[in-house]
Amino acid sequence: MSEEKKAKTPRALATKAAASIGKFVKNNLASSVTARSEGKKVAYAYIADGQDEIMRAMDIVPGWGESFAGVCSARRDAERFLQKAESDNFSRSLCTYATCTLGFDMIREELNGEPVPGASWGGMGRPDVILGSGQLLCDPRFKWPQATQHYLQDVPIFVSNMYYPPFDPKVDHKEQEKFYVKYAKDELYACVRFLEKHLGKKMDWDRLAATVELSDKTWDIFIDAYELRKAVPTPMDTGDAMNTMVPVTFNLGTQEAYDFYKDLYNELKQKIAEGKGVAQNEKYRLLWGAGLPSWFALGDFQYFNDKGAVFPVEITYRGGEKTERLDLPKTNDPLEHIAWRWMRYWTHWYDKARKRPGSLPKVERIIEYIEDYKCDGVVFHSAFSCRSWHAGIITQANVLKKIYSDIPVLIMEGDIVDISSYNEADTHARIDAFIETLETAKKKGRK
Amino acid sequence: MSRHFAGIDIGSTMTKVVILGDKIEASYIGPTGPEHRKLANKVMEEALSRANLSFKDLDYIVATGYGRINVPFADKQVTEITCHARGLHYFLPTVQTIIDIGGQDSKGIKIKNGKVSGFVMNDKCAAGTGRFMEVIADALAVPLEKLGELSLTATKPAFISSTCTVFAEHEVTNQLANGESTANLVAGIHDAIAARVFGLLNKLKIEPDVAVTGGGAKNIGLVKAIEARFKCKILVPPEPLITGAMGAALIGKETYENSVKSGETLLRSGKGLREATFFN
Repeated sequence: MSEEKKAKTPRALATKAAASIGKFVKNNLASSVTARSEGKKVAYAYIADGQDEIMRAMDIVPGWGESFAGVCSARRDAERFLQKAESDNFSRSLCTYATCTLGFDMIREELNGEPVPGASWGGMGRPDVILGSGQLLCDPRFKWPQATQHYLQDVPIFVSNMYYPPFDPKVDHKEQEKFYVKYAKDELYACVRFLEKHLGKKMDWDRLAATVELSDKTWDIFIDAYELRKAVPTPMDTGDAMNTMVPVTFNLGTQEAYDFYKDLYNELKQKIAEGKGVAQNEKYRLLWGAGLPSWFALGDFQYFNDKGAVFPVEITYRGGEKTERLDLPKTNDPLEHIAWRWMRYWTHWYDKARKRPGSLPKVERIIEYIEDYKCDGVVFHSAFSCRSWHAGIITQANVLKKIYSDIPVLIMEGDIVDISSYNEADTHARIDAFIETLETAKKKGRK
Repeated sequence: MSRHFAGIDIGSTMTKVVILGDKIEASYIGPTGPEHRKLANKVMEEALSRANLSFKDLDYIVATGYGRINVPFADKQVTEITCHARGLHYFLPTVQTIIDIGGQDSKGIKIKNGKVSGFVMNDKCAAGTGRFMEVIADALAVPLEKLGELSLTATKPAFISSTCTVFAEHEVTNQLANGESTANLVAGIHDAIAARVFGLLNKLKIEPDVAVTGGGAKNIGLVKAIEARFKCKILVPPEPLITGAMGAALIGKETYENSVKSGETLLRSGKGLREATFFN
């Protein structure tokens, strides 16, 4: 039967939890704007930096540039900030989280630090300090804070880094761990000293320990909730997870974050009991293999869902792990605990990868999720301005096919913020072709 | 009674139809261009006329190509990726890697046992597409169909550095003004397209046999440039423009036969041959 052209519908959120996430993001942004009048200090911060609990324990309000740029992108209000940065010679090929935020900072400075009129959800407040962090995760985050300081010349910067051992199949990384943990711990202590010096606050170490404990509990309940998505049909997919990642990513170390995942856990339990899935007729289960999404085109998840394809699991923003699986050494030092937890998060697929010739930890993680969540295919998103994710995607796809199975793989192309990289019709054409490939593979499997 | 199936491939520049019975009964290629967009039915009528058939003789119709959704008389829509793979496998069954150079995009498709095992698409940039060649042909005042033969007379292909179609055109006219021969420039453009396509296909594992389809396959100079870049023999099907339509017709036939075998009712569009609905 001929396909009828469908009217565009907004993305349907499968969970109430995801639908409620706007309040977290708005509160985070608003807190950075109102902090000064409340006598609080603001730190520009970057995700997965290991410094969340330090900021929370010292009552420092984080200003998340990556979150703000994502909001601008989703609301299709980023272009004016990208153009502003471009006017000062920032290339379009640079990280568009960075250039969007830099453009915003430039405009706010021209307004003497006052709110930028019409900025999405009120914009971000002017920071008192900047906590840069690359963390082997993102190279722009070394230079982005320095570039920001061109415009915020009175704002002190602390650029830290934490490393984890590189993967070498012939080397047992556990022999090297203590060296890396010591380095990371020293960086975290230096961060505390920097904040104490520049913000005139003293760290409350007991409060930090309690905050870290709460974060561990949050990681645990986050994973407990997400693992419920193994159910068939899955009660929640990546379209939602790109929202429900907010508390663990931007509000780690707060009671609100923990409560959010407790509620999500209960909601997903309920959905499973009622047999409610994301797609009306779940036909294909997919893994979002890598890459940040195009925030301005989250509706594409709905496009997949409409074709019976759901994403019960994703690598992106699965920013936690059950702490018991990390086998963390006992320590009374909360910063050392953060260092161990941070490092083991990245290295706990190393042993598995070492056992499978030719494998890589990132590929091993993909294989684990394919098997645990019974996935039929893998989708990657190659966002041109995000080198951190972009580089290595094709290698991961090729290694996966070589050492595991010839599972269907789709590599989508676009950007996180720059909408000029995106063409909906072509993106949908790729998805259509991928769905046909999945169907063919499934039929082959059934024979 | 023999059965008949039609595949219609509405590409960005050309619309192609294949009528399939026990063999190919007829095929027809017509322009899609702006004024022809509503006229997919005319192309279908022409193909039916060549096959001495009428619309009611068709037992199943599959549409493909970027305009596939807007063919009301089609019974099923299938993407061009799947259809190209099926069609090419019919013509050249040993091929494992397809390069399709269409009017406004280029694609790479991997085939395993006649089915798609992977694909890549260049839809962001005109370099590496038929449009690139059209622009350069205009700039050099050489008919598009003459580019291939002309490039074979080149003594030393010019180096075209720009990957942007607009700036490549500018670069070509500058080099022309500096005395570079038209043949060398055309050969240089073919090398640039081959390099672009190689970069795209390299994302897949290129495995022989390799074939080229689409309008680009009609350009012997471009095929030679691709052979040189890929360092392997490049196959070209007998009519490289109709592989998508052929694949669509084959899928139509298979769909029909499966329904007969299973006893399931085959859903048909039920709509007659009428104008395609791109804009309404």
